[in-house]
Amino acid sequence: MSVCHVNADEIRKLNVMTERLQKLKKEWEEAKPIVYVDDSLLFTQSWKETEGLPIDLRWAKAFAKKLRECPILIREGELIVGSLTKHVRGANVLCAMKPREILEQLERGAFDRKLSDIATTYIDPEDARLLKEDAEYWIEHMPPNYINDALREEFGESHFDLMMDEAMVFEGRGVRHNPDRGLFQGWGAMGGGITGPRGKVINEGLNHVIAVARAELEKMLAEGAVLDGSVAAAQRKYYLLKAIIISCEAIIDFARRHADLAREMAQRTSDPVRKAELERIARNCERVPAEPPRDFWEAVQAVRFLHVVCWKESPERAEVTIGRLDQMLYPYYEKDLRENRITRQQAAELLGCFWLKTRENENLVTIKREHRAAPGSLLPNVTICGRDKEGRDATNELSWIVLEVMRQMKLSEPAVYVRYHEDLSDEFLIFALECNRDFGGGNPAFLNDKLGTDRYLARGIKYEDASDWYASGCLAYNLDCAEHVAGTINLNQPKILEITLNNGVDPRTGKELGLKTGDVTTFTSIEQLYDAFLKQVDYFADKLRRHYFIYWSTGIANDPQSGLRAAMLYEDCIPKGLAPREGGARYPVTRMSWFGDGGITDVSDSLAAIKHLVFDQKKITMAELLEALRDNWQGKEHIRQMCLSAPKYGNDDDYVDDIFNYISMKTQEILLSRPDPFTGLKPFLFKGAAAGHVVRGKAIGALPNGRKAGQPLNDAGTSPMPGADVNGPTAVVNSATKVPHAFATVGLAHNMKLTKSLLNTREKLIKVASLIKVFMARGGWHIQFNIHSLEELLDAKKHPEKHKNLLVRVGGYSAYFVDLPPELQDEIIARTQHAV
Amino acid sequence: MESIKGMVFNIQRYSIDDGPGIRTTVFLKGCPLRCLWCSNPESQNPCPEIAHRESSCKRCGRCVEVCPVQAISLTEGAIRIDRNLCDNCGECVSECPHEALKIFGKEMTVDEVFAVVRKDKDYYKVTGGGVTVSGGEPLAQAEFAAALLKRCQEAGIHTCLDTSGYGAQPDLEKILPYTALVLFDLKHMDPVLHREYTGCDNELVLRNLELVVKNGTPLIIRIPLIPGHNDSDEQLAAFARVAAEVAKGAPVNIMPYHRYGTGKYKMLDLPYQLDDLKPPAEERLQRAKEIFNSFGLECEVKI
Repeated sequence: MSVCHVNADEIRKLNVMTERLQKLKKEWEEAKPIVYVDDSLLFTQSWKETEGLPIDLRWAKAFAKKLRECPILIREGELIVGSLTKHVRGANVLCAMKPREILEQLERGAFDRKLSDIATTYIDPEDARLLKEDAEYWIEHMPPNYINDALREEFGESHFDLMMDEAMVFEGRGVRHNPDRGLFQGWGAMGGGITGPRGKVINEGLNHVIAVARAELEKMLAEGAVLDGSVAAAQRKYYLLKAIIISCEAIIDFARRHADLAREMAQRTSDPVRKAELERIARNCERVPAEPPRDFWEAVQAVRFLHVVCWKESPERAEVTIGRLDQMLYPYYEKDLRENRITRQQAAELLGCFWLKTRENENLVTIKREHRAAPGSLLPNVTICGRDKEGRDATNELSWIVLEVMRQMKLSEPAVYVRYHEDLSDEFLIFALECNRDFGGGNPAFLNDKLGTDRYLARGIKYEDASDWYASGCLAYNLDCAEHVAGTINLNQPKILEITLNNGVDPRTGKELGLKTGDVTTFTSIEQLYDAFLKQVDYFADKLRRHYFIYWSTGIANDPQSGLRAAMLYEDCIPKGLAPREGGARYPVTRMSWFGDGGITDVSDSLAAIKHLVFDQKKITMAELLEALRDNWQGKEHIRQMCLSAPKYGNDDDYVDDIFNYISMKTQEILLSRPDPFTGLKPFLFKGAAAGHVVRGKAIGALPNGRKAGQPLNDAGTSPMPGADVNGPTAVVNSATKVPHAFATVGLAHNMKLTKSLLNTREKLIKVASLIKVFMARGGWHIQFNIHSLEELLDAKKHPEKHKNLLVRVGGYSAYFVDLPPELQDEIIARTQHAV
Repeated sequence: MESIKGMVFNIQRYSIDDGPGIRTTVFLKGCPLRCLWCSNPESQNPCPEIAHRESSCKRCGRCVEVCPVQAISLTEGAIRIDRNLCDNCGECVSECPHEALKIFGKEMTVDEVFAVVRKDKDYYKVTGGGVTVSGGEPLAQAEFAAALLKRCQEAGIHTCLDTSGYGAQPDLEKILPYTALVLFDLKHMDPVLHREYTGCDNELVLRNLELVVKNGTPLIIRIPLIPGHNDSDEQLAAFARVAAEVAKGAPVNIMPYHRYGTGKYKMLDLPYQLDDLKPPAEERLQRAKEIFNSFGLECEVKI
């Protein structure tokens, strides 16, 4: 892209919060989150109408019905249109996906009152009635429990012990059939973000995609399908092409419905300014996303349409990524600027309107999910900067404007990720940190551009493709040309340590879940314990891989494939005749497995405490320690204090960092030693845990690091135990980057909390910027800064009403602090305040 | 020379206000001055000292049991340390399960300190940072300070000395060859008030300032700005004249008075004498800055 001439002062002059956006945002702030039912009802209606058709077609037709018949609206003052629901803040549900959960919630009246400390969602009484009917229909039509049956058949009943809530050796969405769920088990297990609006498709228009699909169809019909002579593959391809065409046509109609509505509203309004805007909106919606955008406004509108339809298609909370917004939009912006058709200020306001639209979607927090994920987050991540296909700094004027929009809009989403590299200017980095400080919480986050690209290059991917990636989902990332679709299953490492300490038995359930690796009280060296632990990890890793194969084979085989997703990646999916999740995307390497090994810092601190207290200092015996753990420290507070004072990861102390590095590298080796069962390639690892550390912690008893039973584990992969890092931020960064933890890993975040006083002058910002530089130079992957005063946080806990705008980043998310469950609030408060 | 030991009470990494860039500040224990506003009371006494943090204490009495000289008692639900009996042996510190007791001051070799300092070399390189030897008063441990700074300088690490200027000239001369930058404190220009506020005369301080200037070592004048003590316009002008004339226009850093150290006085059973003093108002800081600027001096307020 072109050389960037902007500077921070010019960008700061922008007024994103124009009168229009102030008004729209205020409406949003004052709106109640309301459950939106229309799409669910339309889906069910369509499903009844398509009985007997191949599932992919049924899926595409249901999607099309939603787009053609759902209520649409254009809010007063909006410049960018296209809503997920008809409410200013609407929560989309799909009864087909989880009827029991929805029914339970309706019966408890949970939609009508505060359903937990973290979310309040309302429902219209008539909608409640319709939703109830819908849920009841699906409960009567629940599909067979095929995933669990397959797992049982392969591994026996005892296999399920590994996934019990009380044990949770395996944890994650891709673990087991949820008996409360209806259709689409595989969809429900998906994590890590899916391809959203894609630059290539926006630039070419959906009519082009339709034409390519039609041509391919024509070729099949005229010349026959040549897919290695496979009849099934030819049939597959036929239905996929049909699904692509149905989906794209429906999206175009959805846009045109908005054009009609805008024109109608234009006729009605007496305000000439608004009339002109509505006429412009009508022209935009007539044009995109069917045809290539002609200017910046149309391009932003196209991004919005493709983003919202991906959300509309998804059956449940779907992590639809926005991608490299500055790269997608810059050619349009640059051309408009050159031709004097737009000002920077106008562009900023349009982006502001886009920003707010993404925040209209509420993620319905059901009773079952409240502790699982960051509430309110649908993870529409925006990525900026990085290098382009020629390896040059891709930062452009829009990269700056995006940050300024984020700073002024002060919305928890979209989260912004900066792809950091060495050619990024200091001015930009300092500006990004200023935005981070003013924004208040962890936004933007910084990703290591070189590492991101290198990981793909190491898998044999061409540079032009490998360099085109963006942050997606929670702590994940995607190639622009290949949706990754991860089935994340996490090995709960601290749980495995607990099992090791009990010679294969899980003390929480009394079940023998692991191997008999020996009575640890007879061990004479810490190395014996390391070996025993790693043996257990190996044992569970083997089980994990087998489990994963069965889970995904049954899941994929029974779930619909998406014509929409195939359309987004059409240049590969169409010739192959496969949807992205079946291997249709350009590269299979990012398609499948992510194996999580989160909790390594808990394990390392625990092993360090044992080494220190039992073997080196001999202050206590292993038996005494085990007893204290069993009793959850009751009456053994002095032992707990000893454990808490033992060396802790995050202080640049080799005593414990050596253990951390050894265990991290060994477990990584173990997990990588088994190829992905579908592709035969090395899996990606996922060390991060955005909020999963809370859930996993519930299943684990007291740990030798001093943690009490049931407490959350440490978050985000390489973050130290809360409050344990006492040597300042450089020590934490050093601890986290002594060995390449991040190279084989996707979800590895490093959360750092700084007080505002560390960022209040330019000089200090330069120093924080240098923390990023050193972190990246040492091979770190993802770093983000949370910035708060302790007083602010404590007060926010007491008086949430006064701190509605207080933002906090948990793992890879942004969320409002007052929306977090108390445990997460406490954890953020406890996270060390580096310097006062 | 590396076997020389120093009495260190803190090594603070990511120091961002003690010289350029990201620095590691090595605080040496022991100071001849007793500034009323001192925010590091643990820095004054040259020997190790036991400190007790009330808020962490669970009053379990473990320390009372283990104290070999019966200096600790548990009375009226609170731990009391008889400072006359306590010989700072540290037995109680290692036995306290709640980290309520700690010992300030640890004897360390140059090698040991250097091992910590060098850990952040990557950050020094990126920011032009390095090591700062502070105190207490580094001149009171001149041999050690010189050896440490030399060691760092040889390793290519930028060196900085933070001094009150109160020390023997030969001691200063030992350190200066290994010092790239001196942060030189001025507390008051009036000898009588200097004595009243710090316990010592300022004549030696000013002579040492001349020595640093003569030696040609770059220098920054640091002034702790204490409301009602040294922040009058006249006093600020007096500081400015010294900075302009004696220190040949060296830049000035203003260090506004703060009360972060008061908790440590309680932990050490030491009286804090400026109980009612508030940090300087923003206008006063600006006024101070203006005065220094009017003398053609660069001036930065460190907040």
